[in-house]
Amino acid sequence: MGVLYHERHYGYSLIRVLSDTGSISLKEGTVYPILARLDRDGLVRAEWVESDQGPPRKYYALTSSGRQLFDELNQEFDLLVSLVQQKWKVPEESEHARKKLVVRKG
Amino acid sequence: MHNYPEVVAKIADDYLERVKSKLRLVPVRERDEFLKELQSHLYEAYQQMPGEDDVERILAVLRNLGEPAEVVSDRLPGAMMRSGTKRSLPLYVVSGILIALFGIPLGFGGVGVLVGLLFALAGMVLAYYATAGSILLAGAMSMLLGLTRMFLPHLWDNMVTLGYIQINGPPADLLDHLSASEQGLIMILFASVFVASGLGMLRLGRYLLRGLHFLFSLVLDWMRRLAQTARGKLRRDTREWPHVGEVSFANNGQ
Repeated sequence: MGVLYHERHYGYSLIRVLSDTGSISLKEGTVYPILARLDRDGLVRAEWVESDQGPPRKYYALTSSGRQLFDELNQEFDLLVSLVQQKWKVPEESEHARKKLVVRKG
Repeated sequence: MHNYPEVVAKIADDYLERVKSKLRLVPVRERDEFLKELQSHLYEAYQQMPGEDDVERILAVLRNLGEPAEVVSDRLPGAMMRSGTKRSLPLYVVSGILIALFGIPLGFGGVGVLVGLLFALAGMVLAYYATAGSILLAGAMSMLLGLTRMFLPHLWDNMVTLGYIQINGPPADLLDHLSASEQGLIMILFASVFVASGLGMLRLGRYLLRGLHFLFSLVLDWMRRLAQTARGKLRRDTREWPHVGEVSFANNGQ
């Protein structure tokens, strides 16, 4: 969805972008079921465009609800990342607190 | 528009045919559109695939795309997915029991025996429903006669005189000692028992029908799988012996 956010793509060009940027590693055939599901859910809009180099291409673009969902998912992802980063700091603080506790007990 | 070499076109066509066969339960329009999209993908990917050997290039494209089952995984209707998963276990259980009890071999012979057994069961269910219907009909008639005896005694007497109603033996001796309304009441009571029995049988029959429907579904599913296997085998055999003039998508659209 991120790739389709700024630019429309047809299936093969979308796969090329995903693989060239190393965003994700997947079987090319699995992209089409995902696109079909997004289309069914109204998150992308599909359009056939004639090509002078070969058969027509089916272009996909995010709809407004697709953009909205992507923004929400992006925010949730950022929140998740910040939570994970905080988790790495927690052990240091808790260790400090535990030491304090031990000192008090002694 | 598709400037494929003939051998590449044949490989691509074969792949698309395999996808198409997996999508036979999908609406035609949706299926054709998906195949068109895949065709577009194959063309683009083939043009971009580096290499000298045409066959190697198209095979690499298909390898990257994945097996047809993976590509269509999200387009299969729920019913088909269910028939491929949930039905298989009970089918194997029934097969196992039949083989254990009767030594029925798997394959078309086994299916034949199963179909015979199922039709015998269907006949029994039919007889069951005929009995239930007869009991209900007898109950309704008795009810009608009882009401006639109670509320239209003259009509009853006329029907006895004309010979339409004949009651002989111990029931007649018993009824002779009772008044007309008591006779009618006894008949209605008997009729109620008959009607209740008939309705009860019809209700129980629903479970029988469900069971029979389940068994028929299992056997039909099994037959479908066998036919698919046989078709696949035939197709493989045919592919080993290609015929001149086979339909091809080579140079399609030119």
